[in-house]
Order: sequence, then structure tokens, then C-alpha cells
Amino acid sequence: MPIVVRIDVELARQKMSVGEFADRVGLTPANVAVLKNGRAKAVRFSTLEAMCRVLNCQPGDLLEFVED
Amino acid sequence: MKINHLAVIALRIVLVGAFLLLVLFQVMSLPGQFAHMAAENPERAYLQWPLTIFAILEVACVQVVIVSTWKLLTMVKRDQIFSRRAFVWVDAIMWAIAAGWTMLAVFSAIVILNADDPGVPLLLILMLAAGAAVGLVVVVLRALLRQAADLRLDMEAVI
Repeated sequence: MPIVVRIDVELARQKMSVGEFADRVGLTPANVAVLKNGRAKAVRFSTLEAMCRVLNCQPGDLLEFVED
Repeated sequence: MKINHLAVIALRIVLVGAFLLLVLFQVMSLPGQFAHMAAENPERAYLQWPLTIFAILEVACVQVVIVSTWKLLTMVKRDQIFSRRAFVWVDAIMWAIAAGWTMLAVFSAIVILNADDPGVPLLLILMLAAGAAVGLVVVVLRALLRQAADLRLDMEAVI
């Protein structure tokens, strides 16, 4: 998949741990791991919205298109 | 939700009742009936065991359908019906109907070729048509279940 989820970059900028992030967004740590290592097949807009709200960023900061 | 729950319970009671009735038929009524017919018509007594075995096997096919329906109901109750595991039981129903229908078709062919009045052949043809309809409905429902299971699988991958 050429779409990469850049959660770790934003987490580092916010100095937030994965556990706290999962907790505040309302995701399971397992699903956060799926997002981080690029195995996610689909994301709800509501999840994206919650992630942007918690990380105080735009969807474009989290999603990146990378040519294979 | 409440009405579904009641329907599942009612269907389970009907299934248990039907299954027990069929066991009764298999071990008592059918063997007794064909033994009686053999005693009444000694010149056709050779038909007793083939007919008994045929009837018991037909009833067994219906029993497979009942047991599979019970298993599928359990999956409905646990919200597991839209999964690959449901196909084991749906396929069991499909093959049981196919086997029962094929046996009935062979039996009907023999009866119709030797019949001297049209009553029994017509009745058998009616039963074959009804059986084919039920079997084909199951095939269509199976395709619908496959679509729903695939959709559920897709939705579960959404985070």
C-alpha cells in the first residue's frame, strides 16, 4: 500500500506515548500498531478526526502517499 | 430483537419435536409399515428391505437439515452467522437436500416406469418439484450469506 500512516512523527512532536494516544483516541493498542506498521486496510473518518483532535494536526500530517 | 429471540426459541422447540418424531418414524413406524405391507402382499415382499432402507435414509437427510439448522441458529444467537464457519452447516443442508432429492428422483423413476395409474407418479413429481425449489432457495440464500460474510469481513478491517 502506497499510503503510509505517519502517527509516530506526530507522536514524537507531541511527546505522547502510544498508550496515551490509544487511550485518548479510543483505539485499542493493537489497532494503533496496525496503523503504525502500515497494515491498515481502511480508516473511519471518525477515527481520523479523533486522531487529528488528539494530535492537534491535519489529516495530511498523518497520511502520506509514497510511490512503491 | 425481542421478537427474534422468541422466534429462535420457538423454532428450536419445533426442531427438537420434529427430530424426535423422525427418530420415532425411523425405528418404529417405517419398518413396521413396510413389514405390514410385505405381509399383506407376499408376492411383493422382496421390496420390504429396499423400501425400508430408502425411507430411513430419506428421513436421515431431513435430520441432517434439522441439526444443521440448529447449529446455524446457535451462530445467529452469538452473532457469528456472517463468518466462514457458517458455510460448513449451510453446505451440510445443501448436500443433504441434494442427496435426498437424488434418491427420491431414482425412486420416482422406477415407480413411474412401472406405474399403471397416474396418481402416485403425479404425487412424486410434485414432491420432486417442491424439493428442487427448496434446494435452489438454499443455494440462493447461501450466495446471499457469502456476500454478507464478505461485507462483514471488510468492515472488521476498518479501524
